[in-house]
Amino acid sequence: MKRRAWVANLALFAAVLAVLVTALTPVALAAGTTSPSPSSAAAATVPKGTPIVVGVVPDPQNSGQAWTGDRVSVNLVSNGASTGPNGQILNNAGLDLAKCKVFINGREQALSSPPSTIALAPASPTLQFLLAKTYPNGSYDFRVTIVTTRGKTVEHSWKFTSKGAASGGSLINIAVMKQWFWYIAGGAIITVELTIVSIILASIFALFGALGRLSKKMTFRQAWDRYGSREYMFRMVLGRIPYWLATFYTSLFRGTPLLLQIYVIYYGAPEVVRAIGLGGAHPPAFMQQYLGYADNWNPPPFVAGVAALSLNYGAYLTEVFRAGIQAVPKGQNEAAWAIGLSGWQTQRRVVLPQAFKIVIPAIGNDFIALIKDTSLVSVITVEELLQRSQLAGAASMNFFSTLLVAAAFYWALTIFFSFWQAKLENRMARDKARERERR
Amino acid sequence: MATSEPTATEAVQHTVGREVIVEVKALQKYFGRNHVLKGVDLQVRKGEVIVLIGPSGSGKSTFLRCLNFLEDPTTGEIEIGGVHVVCGSHGGTFKKDVHQIRMKCGMVFQEFNLFPHKDATENVTEGPILVKGEKKDEAIEKAHALLTKVGLADRMDFFPSQLSGGQKQRVAIARAMAMDPVLMLFDEPTSALDPELIGEVLKVMKDLAAQGMTMIVVSHEMGFSRDVADRVVYMDDGYFVEEGPPSEVFYHPKDDRTRRFLRHILPEKEPEHAKELGITEVDQELPSPDDAPAQGSVGAAFSEDNLADTAIPEIPLSDGAAGFTPMPPGDENL
Repeated sequence: MKRRAWVANLALFAAVLAVLVTALTPVALAAGTTSPSPSSAAAATVPKGTPIVVGVVPDPQNSGQAWTGDRVSVNLVSNGASTGPNGQILNNAGLDLAKCKVFINGREQALSSPPSTIALAPASPTLQFLLAKTYPNGSYDFRVTIVTTRGKTVEHSWKFTSKGAASGGSLINIAVMKQWFWYIAGGAIITVELTIVSIILASIFALFGALGRLSKKMTFRQAWDRYGSREYMFRMVLGRIPYWLATFYTSLFRGTPLLLQIYVIYYGAPEVVRAIGLGGAHPPAFMQQYLGYADNWNPPPFVAGVAALSLNYGAYLTEVFRAGIQAVPKGQNEAAWAIGLSGWQTQRRVVLPQAFKIVIPAIGNDFIALIKDTSLVSVITVEELLQRSQLAGAASMNFFSTLLVAAAFYWALTIFFSFWQAKLENRMARDKARERERR
Repeated sequence: MATSEPTATEAVQHTVGREVIVEVKALQKYFGRNHVLKGVDLQVRKGEVIVLIGPSGSGKSTFLRCLNFLEDPTTGEIEIGGVHVVCGSHGGTFKKDVHQIRMKCGMVFQEFNLFPHKDATENVTEGPILVKGEKKDEAIEKAHALLTKVGLADRMDFFPSQLSGGQKQRVAIARAMAMDPVLMLFDEPTSALDPELIGEVLKVMKDLAAQGMTMIVVSHEMGFSRDVADRVVYMDDGYFVEEGPPSEVFYHPKDDRTRRFLRHILPEKEPEHAKELGITEVDQELPSPDDAPAQGSVGAAFSEDNLADTAIPEIPLSDGAAGFTPMPPGDENL
């Protein structure tokens, strides 16, 4: 019975995935030379430090609706190695600018100044050619040759009619969706990683937060009436510190917006380190080795994102855990004390295992919510689902289609995890019912 | 039965002269402004069985829970098994002493309080392994022996949710015994049980008493008290009102409050007739005292001969009458 349920669930998820994949996988990849697309294959094989061409518009400032006629801009998606931690472009985005060329109607164009890279969005550098002459409205064939410092050449060509859309045209553009599917799917993997790492850390924060919140046994007034000892009161103040810390933590993180916390941690962390003066000029070796820190205190976007998400969700889960611990009958504590267990042994061996069982459904709930809240860390350039679909939208000039793909991914993920969450809750409800029956 | 039953004076006599295990002096307990224990003294000798009775809210349970500091007594002194604690103090020594006392007391709760995520054996080994640092195999061996003694040889790997109330309570007794306590505290051990399950738990408790275990029991099981208790203490409003051998307290109470209370507990007859009534009823229901070995013969209760008796459901519990105690409805919480 159980086994069959398992199989059915997996089959459901596989079916959802299969539908998505078959609908959107670029078939053109095998046949396609019509448009040199920055497909997943390219993304996977491009060596580190090499930018990937993701799309081209004659003039990004005019969103392809009209062409100023005096410049051609190429949107690139860097693989991250050529952008700095704050999104600035390093080393010309890994391009050998002198060798980059632009052709209009098959003719190489003279430039008013050498090609340059500009950053319109972090992690998304733009290669810009300023033309020597200004073209009038009309229909043109464009082609660019982009050469990287490692000698790799990428060609890209397209047709453009001034005062018309740059490409495609239909609202839901299946071709664009296919073209960007695997790129966006890569973002979905980052999103799941963010969610899982964050919920685990959040649970750990919540555990200590809840123990802190519950460490208050009596008020100062009661203690004074009871013992009337200054020394006792002093020790009680020290013992109250975990409670204060936990209260401060939950209050702060539940009282401010998650988006703000993300910004503060990402941009503020290096300033805090500098201001406090702790940690020296360089982060310790293990942070560089395992957390991906550069030789400065700017946190990598993924790390900052995980920190913000887990702290925020930890604050909410603290209250959940507190309620879970309090839901364990008091008699369990007493029974443990009566056989001589210490306070910590009682928590570890008796209370927490039972509390954990109680809070699992609530963690599942927050897990589902967290999947969607990870989209907020796109603002600090983490290339998760939303960020990638935005980049793809900017490159293909078809935001609606690429965002739709992202929406489908979010939806599929939530359906998948909700399904398991419901299963888990059912199972626990059954256990409880059985327990009642036996009693 | 009447012939083999020790007389009231004998019951008290047989422990006289033994070492004092529990010494409670002027114990007081406040819950906020609520004065629950108003200065209670108690001396228990090794092997004595004390039964506490009294109306709801009289402080019986609180007194019991104060003995192993599940409630922190406000003032007074407690000495158990040579560990002396002045109540109302605090600090490292106090904590250490409280821990010592808890290790010397086994406690059995009304609601069993078994650990639901551990099976019967793990429930029993938890204390010995974590607190006494016993080796796991040894602790498990000991747990199996204890569970066999309480008649659960075939339930050792069952989880609490798979056990009946009576079985749970017997596991709880084994769990308390695993710490080798010098004193066992029973807080209404049968009040949460269905009537037909009470017998199996009382049987185990009787065996324990026969083995020479010192016990303080909060219970209104009159049959049990009459047979096993050396002393019955009537508690009311935070005081020990009356204490003495069960036959004295139950059938010739001196205090008015005791008399009024017993009128609720005993069948609705005049106290003069209660004795007669009680004995005839109990005679039918209790296993003959001849089955139980003489009091004080350590280990006899759990000897091979008696194992068959302890195994449930072979115990001849009753002839279908509802349990041991003629307790009127509505007084369950006493």
